Amino acid sequence: MTRSRAATNPLAPLTYLRRNAGKTIPLTVVIVMAVMLVSGIISMINSIPLSIRTIYAYSKKFTGVTPRGDATRTQVILNEIKAKSPVAIDRVITCRTAGTVVQSIVGKWPFFILGLSPDDMTYYLRLQNATDIDGRLPKPGAAEAVVSEPVARNLNLKIGSNLLGPKLDDGFSPNNVKVVGIAKTDQWVMVVPIEYLRAYHFPPVDLGIVVAKNPAEQDRLDRWADKHFKGQRAAILAYFQIEKNTDEMFRTLYQILNVVIGTLVIVITFMMGMLINIYQSQRIVEFGLLQAIGYTKRQILSRVLTETAMVVVVGWLFGLLAAYGLLNVANATLMAPRAYAINPVDKVAYLYSLPMPIAILVVAAATITVRFKNFDPIGVVERRIV
Amino acid sequence: MLRAVNASLNYQDHGRDIFACRDISIDVQANEFVGILGPSGSGKSSLLYLLSGLKTPTGGDILYQGKSIPAMSDEDRSRLRIEEFGFVFQQPFLLGYLTALENISVIPRAGSPNEAHELLEQLGMGAKAHRFPHELSGGERQRVCVARALYGRPKIIFADEPTAALDHKNGVSTVNLLNRLRGEGSLVMVTHDPTMLDGADRVIRLADGEMTAPILGGHESAEPTRDI
Repeated sequence: MTRSRAATNPLAPLTYLRRNAGKTIPLTVVIVMAVMLVSGIISMINSIPLSIRTIYAYSKKFTGVTPRGDATRTQVILNEIKAKSPVAIDRVITCRTAGTVVQSIVGKWPFFILGLSPDDMTYYLRLQNATDIDGRLPKPGAAEAVVSEPVARNLNLKIGSNLLGPKLDDGFSPNNVKVVGIAKTDQWVMVVPIEYLRAYHFPPVDLGIVVAKNPAEQDRLDRWADKHFKGQRAAILAYFQIEKNTDEMFRTLYQILNVVIGTLVIVITFMMGMLINIYQSQRIVEFGLLQAIGYTKRQILSRVLTETAMVVVVGWLFGLLAAYGLLNVANATLMAPRAYAINPVDKVAYLYSLPMPIAILVVAAATITVRFKNFDPIGVVERRIV
Repeated sequence: MLRAVNASLNYQDHGRDIFACRDISIDVQANEFVGILGPSGSGKSSLLYLLSGLKTPTGGDILYQGKSIPAMSDEDRSRLRIEEFGFVFQQPFLLGYLTALENISVIPRAGSPNEAHELLEQLGMGAKAHRFPHELSGGERQRVCVARALYGRPKIIFADEPTAALDHKNGVSTVNLLNRLRGEGSLVMVTHDPTMLDGADRVIRLADGEMTAPILGGHESAEPTRDI
């Protein structure tokens, strides 16, 4: 009784999907758009903490030290670190800072301009992965600055532009501080001669930068210093604090985002489940005929679910591709020109879209299964159900 | 080969027992053409569904090659229908997204790879094998349904008013083709039109769910089928 198929299986799920493109393409497109929307939103939101981590990544390379309540204690603190540090130290730098802002997709963020001696400036630029400089380093004491490429893109600075100046509210200085060099590095860096800051900027407080000999031990030094000077007249500025603050800052936002995305997934799932159910209802005659001539409910159900799974999976995969394309376009046209950070291959963003195809598949499978449970093919062949 | 033993099918309607079929006993032999004749509502389609395993009798039994069809599982009944039986329904039901040839091949019964095409040739549809149902007339579609029922040489073909949607000329032609091409298979055909049963070996009359006259035609009746 076992017989081989005479021809290629005409009931192959792909045959139905290809020949009913008018139904399957809109379904697929809706899933593609939904996946693209969810992944796109998450990736854009993730670009904010990513921007924070990117912009302030320079602080990974050193432990910042500032005195509290006593401007004369900087050297004392730095000496104590040199004496008691649990890791070998490569360099201790005394510096000054001035404040300015950089642009982000959510507005202006504060940024430190470091005032350094010529030797320390060269060291610091190398520390921040600078491979070369377009232009030159500032002359000692001059109102001149070097910025890195991302800073130049972000603030639209070129050699000769003013980084600070009397007419710049966000970057005031009594003199125009001109950009004389653009450092080739992906780190965000702004440096000026320390003498200039000492002469023209307030407060008159020296700060310190401590660099571990082994970059892998910088975080250990950060945490040790933070703990060691707790309660003393010194403050430690370290990258792990930025990480911690960023995580805390975005915790609530992500909770809200989870609710929004969850609601979106439910709405889209409900809509898609209904659409799939309507499309399958339109095939009731086909199912009735097949069952009447001898196909089992299980065979028909399995075929319908395979078709649904193919639509959903293809929709999801194309949705990921579309999201990747969209994020790349957004990066190229909106983000990269201003050095805003976005990750077009953000795994978290893509994972956020995963519940959608799963939920659509579950809802579609459940509704189709319920529909089939009491399905009577006689009603179809007698045309009571059409 | 196929036997109904006091087969009944009743259902409840506002507390009353309504019999679609009552105590029907018939025997379909191999290679036999049995007609089931009766007016609308007489229970002839219900009898066909009982015989073919599409419905389960509420009384009596249906035996195929000695095995009770109602006692089989749903899966076994489905397997029996797809492997042993062919069906032609009142309406020419075809899958709209498949060609005529593919509509025949939905039956997973073996035949030579060219059997589906040969059947269409024999039914005068060879040139339209690759057309979709919406490109065929009603008569042509029913002929594709006939080809589907014949495909793989089923043991029994069940035809439920196969001419209902056709004009008389097309109807006669369809029945003749079905009868001519069934080969060794039996044919059980339901109709309200006696002229469609000219080729039947015997004819069963039904009214109100019961057999109303002796079995006609063939070896079990003195009256020839054509006299109906």
